[in-house]
Amino acid sequence: MSSLAVDIAGLECRAGGRRTLSIEQLQIGGGEVFGILGPNGAGKSTLLKCCLGFVRPRRGRVDVLGQPVAELRAAALCRLRRRLGYVPQVLTARGEMPLSVREVVATGRTGIAGLFRRLNRQDWQIVDHWIERLGLGPLRNSSYGELSGGEQRKTLIATAMVQEPQILLLDEPTANLDLYWREEIVGLLEQLYEEHGLTILLVCHELEVIPRGCHRLLVLDRGRPIASGRPEDVLTEERIEGLYGRGLRIVRSRGRHAVVPGGRHER
Amino acid sequence: MIDLALWGPVLCGGALAGASTGVLGTYIVGMRIPFLGVCVAHAALAGAVLGSLCGLTGPGLMLPALAGATAMALVVGLLDPERIHVDSNIVLGLLFSLTMGLAFLGLGLFDVYGVSKNDVLDLLWGSVLACRWRDCAIMAGSTALELLFLACFYKEMRAILFSRLHAAAAGVRVTLVWTGFLILTSVVVTVNFQTVGGLMIYSLLTNPAAAAFLLVRGYGRTLLLSGVLGAVSGVGGFLICKATDLPAGAMIVILSSLLVALAAVLGRWRRRVGERTV
Repeated sequence: MSSLAVDIAGLECRAGGRRTLSIEQLQIGGGEVFGILGPNGAGKSTLLKCCLGFVRPRRGRVDVLGQPVAELRAAALCRLRRRLGYVPQVLTARGEMPLSVREVVATGRTGIAGLFRRLNRQDWQIVDHWIERLGLGPLRNSSYGELSGGEQRKTLIATAMVQEPQILLLDEPTANLDLYWREEIVGLLEQLYEEHGLTILLVCHELEVIPRGCHRLLVLDRGRPIASGRPEDVLTEERIEGLYGRGLRIVRSRGRHAVVPGGRHER
Repeated sequence: MIDLALWGPVLCGGALAGASTGVLGTYIVGMRIPFLGVCVAHAALAGAVLGSLCGLTGPGLMLPALAGATAMALVVGLLDPERIHVDSNIVLGLLFSLTMGLAFLGLGLFDVYGVSKNDVLDLLWGSVLACRWRDCAIMAGSTALELLFLACFYKEMRAILFSRLHAAAAGVRVTLVWTGFLILTSVVVTVNFQTVGGLMIYSLLTNPAAAAFLLVRGYGRTLLLSGVLGAVSGVGGFLICKATDLPAGAMIVILSSLLVALAAVLGRWRRRVGERTV
């Protein structure tokens, strides 16, 4: 895939009288792993929601896979969303949820199957394939509400992948996960990119989550881009100190980045 | 010995009311919006009160009741909690208090205009023992409509039950299907509340589904068991009423609540046995 996956121009979003996002120009190519980094409230999730049509911009244009998201009618927007896999930040973790893991993953095929049609054998084969692929096989009949946070996150990634998306949008996929699960998810993203070459938009506020294959990084602060480019160019100690406070050092190892505290912490 | 000419339609009505509301309850409990049932029921009551003040009586009150319930369902469907930044239950609570206020304002006006409020009070409390085959036919019609809706939108409702946001992100026509579900809820609640009453329908919308959630896993099985437990509550309540001469509506509510308690004990026992086996 070489054409533009996302093309944004003159975008401005507001909420509660406050500007939440303002991006003059942003283009993300097909097959690119694109990281979006920034502190809480930087506008990262809003950017993903604009791509999905969940947030209507005050002004500007957001084209996803060549389609102007804000101008699409309901049916056309649904058709576009079927080509996008979305893993939201907040987990649906209701303990009494009666759905099994297999049923939750199957919800990802619901839109693609269309109205007045049951999921056919091929749909279920795709569901089972992604359950196995993400190592959820032994849990397929378990109740989703009883899974651990990491297992729920994997289930949601499987739910997005059964859509066979052209773009995968991940909103802090390792939020609230321990180190083991964080590395599981990052490793999984690297594998998915290597195997499928799909466009990945990854929102995170931890450097450690940025996978090795990340081509470009956009740093947002208070709704505005403050840097973009290759991760090794963008992630400087001055910039990280400006964002998260003084006394932070960046450690780089085999294409991964991490922040370690190195002294006094003040922003 | 049960006189089937008298009790046949009563038992059939109880089974249909319990089963149809029990199935709806799977979504209402699963999505944590139990206020929806009372909200729609009170909107139906407000509609019936207005209809009664306009001179309608008996079955004629069903039309304004249905109009009130449907209007409420559409308002709930159009208010997107994500967009207005208010939790669904808060919105339902506000609308519930508004419709209750309107209904009781209307009831107050009955005395002012010297109109009988017996028909409307029957709707509020239900008139279970007055259920006849004609009422059963209407209830069977609304149950058939519910089954048709679920046959058409089974997988969409499964996705919405999991998460409206997820369903929308997966390209499901959430607004269309959700609004359809709300209208269906208004029809089922309005049709059934002349039998079990506007207040008691709340227990049938929550208790059978809550019990089913404690006992089984899986979408289809939960739907089925909610319907069965709803029917058991409806029929069992009438049978206890027949045997003891106690009020049928109250028996339905108490029986469905006992089923939840029993399911909780059974569920806990099964978990303990499962832990020991592991």
